Amino acid sequence: MAERGIPLAAGNGLAITAGDVGRELRLESLRRRESWKTEEAERILRYGAFVGSVVECHATLDRAMNRARSHITAMEQEGRSVHNGTVILADSLGSSRGRFDRAWHAPAGGLWGCLIHANTLLPQSRNLIPLGVGVACCEAVRETGIGAELRWVNDVLVDGRKVAGFLIESFFSPIHREEYNLIGFGVNVNNRRFPPELQDIALSLSQVLGRSIDLNRFALLFMAKLSFAFGLLYREEELHLRDEGGGDPGWHPMLRAWADLSGTIGRRVLFGFDVMKNPQYQATVTGLTESGGLILRLDDGHEKIEYCGEIRYL
Amino acid sequence: MSSEIDFDEILSKYRSDPFDYVDVCATHTGVVRFRVKAGDAVEAPGGEWLQIPGTALYEITRERNPKLIAAQTNGTVSDIRTDLEGQFVEAGERLLTIRHPLKKKEIIENILKEVLYLFRAPERAKYYFALDVQSRIDKKGARAVTIDAGEEVLTMSLMKRDTPIYYSGERGVIHSVYFSPGVSVNQGDPLLGVCAPEKLPLIQKIITRVKADWDSE
Repeated sequence: MAERGIPLAAGNGLAITAGDVGRELRLESLRRRESWKTEEAERILRYGAFVGSVVECHATLDRAMNRARSHITAMEQEGRSVHNGTVILADSLGSSRGRFDRAWHAPAGGLWGCLIHANTLLPQSRNLIPLGVGVACCEAVRETGIGAELRWVNDVLVDGRKVAGFLIESFFSPIHREEYNLIGFGVNVNNRRFPPELQDIALSLSQVLGRSIDLNRFALLFMAKLSFAFGLLYREEELHLRDEGGGDPGWHPMLRAWADLSGTIGRRVLFGFDVMKNPQYQATVTGLTESGGLILRLDDGHEKIEYCGEIRYL
Repeated sequence: MSSEIDFDEILSKYRSDPFDYVDVCATHTGVVRFRVKAGDAVEAPGGEWLQIPGTALYEITRERNPKLIAAQTNGTVSDIRTDLEGQFVEAGERLLTIRHPLKKKEIIENILKEVLYLFRAPERAKYYFALDVQSRIDKKGARAVTIDAGEEVLTMSLMKRDTPIYYSGERGVIHSVYFSPGVSVNQGDPLLGVCAPEKLPLIQKIITRVKADWDSE
């Protein structure tokens, strides 16, 4: 939040190093002390410290996801290992897109990029990555003083309009077939103009605050939150594997964090796999399953659980 | 895939016993309490969005957490392991069998599944065609689209994480599509039925023969 000292002066393009990320993690450890024991917060951040191990900053790219794929391919062809946690950033993207065949508007001023995560999580933890990414971004936005909330799965909304979106795709490296999670992110930070079709549904942080935000500082904040989110997934996995129990049985702390930031539970929604093109049914959200699925109560009183798809609030 | 099919044998098998026998197994370890008995009729999930659960078959309790398991297919309980009532069972233990009456369309599909190469779902998730394959299908129709091993044919979507699915199997045309976008597919269930282009006439012959035989009754 602004009163915690996030500088609000606008910058000129992204310029971040892995060292900057390391310093931000130390600040994140301090921020987490309000709700976590110091040693626990530090332990979690150590697990997630791979995020931002390498940071690439580009003036422009066609798509950050494409750059991630070509980077992994090139590294393999050279017989080198990809640094887990590599973050690729670009001031603007030329041909970005959202899920399915949707366009994503990514001009200068926003935070556009991709995190490369070598998939070493168990399936039950990996399924929570999309929720964790949303939690990280929502927490970062709230640190700027904006009252953002999450809409299942991971849309970050302010006043019902979307300020951030994510695209998570698996990628198998061409030679060794190693599996990576490519986590594409787009946050409307200082960009203020949207195409006509997005004007009523998209919003930027600077529009909300009425002033620009230091993009580098926000990027570091987001990466620190991502470190914590990934660290939480790894720490919980270790606790369960050692049979120490990870908090309440069946209720992962990532789900608690998501629920604390979300306004989805209790809302009347329209559900669809591709809700824009093919809305399916209306229902009321009654909760989340222990693996992050959405529990929906239809008008006939029956419940249905959805693990993929999208909702829009009614 | 054999190019020689004994139609008479296959059809006589389905004519004498037009049923599928669907085994219902323990979803996980736990203590089992049955909710049905041999001979009971059971219903599959219903409703426009399949939101109405099927008939409750058994309850399984693990760590004081009871879970009710419902039928996924309609039919009659033909065999039930009553010796397991109140007992602790392992995951995958067969608990009962449902005798499911087959419709003509299901018989055709069953025969085709014996002769097509079935490309199965790696995980329970929703699936849709990769953009390139979808555009080829839109232009020419699925049965004119040939896919090769290693080709990205589908996208698996789970919790808003999309995973490309690469085809592994014999080169061929997409004859049957067993999934619908937006509907979850269980792990191991077929997604695509693929056959070599030169075998398409044989497949058509099977369909025509079954339709003709069943219609003539």
